[in-house]
Amino acid sequence: MRYFFKTIHLIDYKNIVPKTVIGLFIILILLIPVFTRNVVTLSTLIMTGIWAVAAMGFTLVLRTGQFSLGQSAFMALGGYASAILTAQMGLPFWPSFLVSGLVSGLIALLVGMVVLRVGGIYFSIITLALGEIVRIIALQWEPLTRGSRGIIASAPPPIILGGHELVNFNASLAPYFYFMICLVAVTGLVFWRIGESRLGRTFAGTALNPVLAEHQGIYLMKYRVIAFTVAGVFTGYAGALYTHFLQVITPMVFGLWQSIQIMIMSIVGGIGSLVGGPIVGSILLYNLGEYLSRLDTPGLQSFLFGSVVVIVVMFLPQGAGLVNLWERFWNKVVWREEEYEPDEPED
Amino acid sequence: MPYLELKNVSKHFGRLAAVEEVNLQVGKGEILGIVGPNGSGKTTLINLISGYYRPTKGTIYFNGKKISGLRPDKIAELGIIRTFQSNVLYEGTTVVESMLISSYQQYSTNNWQSFLETKAWKDDNEKAVGRVIELVKLLDLLNDTFLPAEGLSHGYQRMLGIAMAMIANPQVLLLDEPTTGMNHEEAMFVVDKIKLLSEQGVTVILIEHNMKVLLNVATRVVCLSFGNKIADGIPEEVMNEKEVIEAYLGTEIL
Amino acid sequence: MPPAEILIEGLTQSCIYMTMAFGMVLVFSILGILNWTHGQLFMLGAFIVFYSTTAAGIPFPIGILLAGLVMAGIGILIKKFIIDRIKGELYIGVATLALIFALEGAASLLFTSDDRGLAIILPGVLNLGVVAISYQKMAVIIFTLIVMTAMYFVLNHTKVGLAIRAVAQQPVAASLYGISTERLSLIVMGIGCALAAMAGAIMAPLYPINPFIGRTPMIMALLAIVIGGLGSLTGAIVGGLILGFLHSVIAYYISYLSEVVLFGLIILILLVRPQGLFGASAK
Repeated sequence: MRYFFKTIHLIDYKNIVPKTVIGLFIILILLIPVFTRNVVTLSTLIMTGIWAVAAMGFTLVLRTGQFSLGQSAFMALGGYASAILTAQMGLPFWPSFLVSGLVSGLIALLVGMVVLRVGGIYFSIITLALGEIVRIIALQWEPLTRGSRGIIASAPPPIILGGHELVNFNASLAPYFYFMICLVAVTGLVFWRIGESRLGRTFAGTALNPVLAEHQGIYLMKYRVIAFTVAGVFTGYAGALYTHFLQVITPMVFGLWQSIQIMIMSIVGGIGSLVGGPIVGSILLYNLGEYLSRLDTPGLQSFLFGSVVVIVVMFLPQGAGLVNLWERFWNKVVWREEEYEPDEPED
Repeated sequence: MPYLELKNVSKHFGRLAAVEEVNLQVGKGEILGIVGPNGSGKTTLINLISGYYRPTKGTIYFNGKKISGLRPDKIAELGIIRTFQSNVLYEGTTVVESMLISSYQQYSTNNWQSFLETKAWKDDNEKAVGRVIELVKLLDLLNDTFLPAEGLSHGYQRMLGIAMAMIANPQVLLLDEPTTGMNHEEAMFVVDKIKLLSEQGVTVILIEHNMKVLLNVATRVVCLSFGNKIADGIPEEVMNEKEVIEAYLGTEIL
Repeated sequence: MPPAEILIEGLTQSCIYMTMAFGMVLVFSILGILNWTHGQLFMLGAFIVFYSTTAAGIPFPIGILLAGLVMAGIGILIKKFIIDRIKGELYIGVATLALIFALEGAASLLFTSDDRGLAIILPGVLNLGVVAISYQKMAVIIFTLIVMTAMYFVLNHTKVGLAIRAVAQQPVAASLYGISTERLSLIVMGIGCALAAMAGAIMAPLYPINPFIGRTPMIMALLAIVIGGLGSLTGAIVGGLILGFLHSVIAYYISYLSEVVLFGLIILILLVRPQGLFGASAK
């Protein structure tokens, strides 16, 4: 579990990647819509970003030692909140969007205050049930959610500045792309700060040894609830963006299977980093899933996806995700550093 | 008014009475040793004071305030900090990281300031690190500062456990067999530190099997047998009482 | 009081949840992990019995045993070649969760994702005056009784059973007394998987079969385990019983959002008894 909590640095670790490289990389990403207008490429990237945000939420909850199997429920909550507010109630887009994450966060807060008292495997199974509850309500509360037909959600309105139309969401996918980038950036920034701050330390204590942490004055439930709520808020925004990007939300799109995918993205990507791991995980696994879904044989996609994940997990070094492999590679090849491997205690 | 007081405290597990009607008063700065054969309820007593268990009957007061029934974190907040019988660590962290997690209560800035990385938080964090380094030096863990906690030898893991309790700035320190698995020198080293704490006004309650250590450090000794308090007094007298010797049946007395 | 048919339906459901939950808890108590693929083993068991009775003409009871045997083998393979090669509970959890996708995909590839139905093997209804039970449902209930009795006998009166209980309570002590935890965990994995598969097989004539039928029983079995108290075999049985009845009875009274009410009730039970009905209390 060495890679689980690298959150507490005393020494300034050498920047794993030089800042200029990161800067160039970010500029390149920002310029993608300039180079390509390809609908498939852009929509794949947008979806990757949305799942990355959801996976970050899962990782944050996992940082407090809790294994949530209902993260997609918060995507559904955010998506439905935004769709209901705009399409069913006719409210303007931006306030509705802002509220959607808060609705999802509020539900996370309420559920968390009830369930996180127990924690552990009970939390996993109850969040799993929560996912089902949300799905069933969406399916059966027809007056509000239109049941299995789903709600048609419109695109965000064009942004007009001084009589000049600045951004038009209907013209191309580029505005959605930048919308996604903003969401990932804000989520990443918030989560990164959480990881680096005292909260990150306290989360680590809560996860690594709840009994000890409790006897040192840490109120476990408070920190579990904070993580769960913050994750709920941002996962909700991811769901709202998803809804307005696809312009429809049905009860089918967020269920246990999506929650499991979120979890797999987070863990395979690497839980050692709150932001990088989920992003790497979602880039690889979302694209793997997309690529496989083009295969025509039904079942083959699901079979290959599952098998690849099993094989990847089998060959990952303990406690490391793909993002850590990248780190190791960088340290070894670029910095030519000797890796510090503590002696395994005998037992 | 006694500093820490247990009034008729009992803890039953089903029909087993682990602690039965114990009355105990501890003064500020005292070093109280708890002895008794295995299964006599020593650890249960510490679990009761620290809030891990709720007493079946009776009340515990600290500074005149009722603490029995509070959550462990609330009790820790009041300054009652404990260690554990086995090596209980934050596995996967280094020594310094464990200590920083344990300094949870010692920050003057709140989570928001830390989140926003304000100047106040940076200063506060530096102070916290300073305190950790100081304590790590004091407890001879300096060479191991950046080693993973679970990689330390048994004795040093126990030392880390004590360090993690001390960094929380306790008013009352509950030590559950702090010197098991240590050699004589290490044990005496711990004794010195306990005395140092006591001089600063910290109350220490320790469970100890090593009589040399106990007689050296404790100002008062309580003996438990089958959950009952059978003796209470200055160490030499307690250890010579007939009942105490009978309870041990000569197995551990020196 | 709901009509007796609803109660019979509830009992049939209970039997399935019970058998699944029992197998999962058994595996959990020895391996210390939840095997998330139990639902898919249930589904594969149903398919095996479907093909063995329709295509190969094997009698239904033998088909059930065959399903149990084959899936026990697959369970042992999963344990040996996947679970044993992964370190850390978290990563084993991920692998078994990913296996759900793999197994469902494999089933869709082999059997296509269409619904198929097995003709009722035991037609006819037993009329008891107040209540009529179809023989098929009776078979489910009797089968479950037989399996549970057999499990009780195995756990209490055989060497393997005693070893299982010893390891579940004190793994270290048990291994010091010469019980091979490794071999035992393979046996237990086999038994657990066989139970799931046989539950699927016995249910096959009652419900349509497709590659996704394992999902609901798995979720229900998990909830049964939580209600009963994780790690308690009695708890798994009682939890399964409660859940099956609640499910049917609630659905009878309120068809609208009945599952939500069910889950709400479960959360309520856990609020009162977080450790489950038969779980050991920590404090």
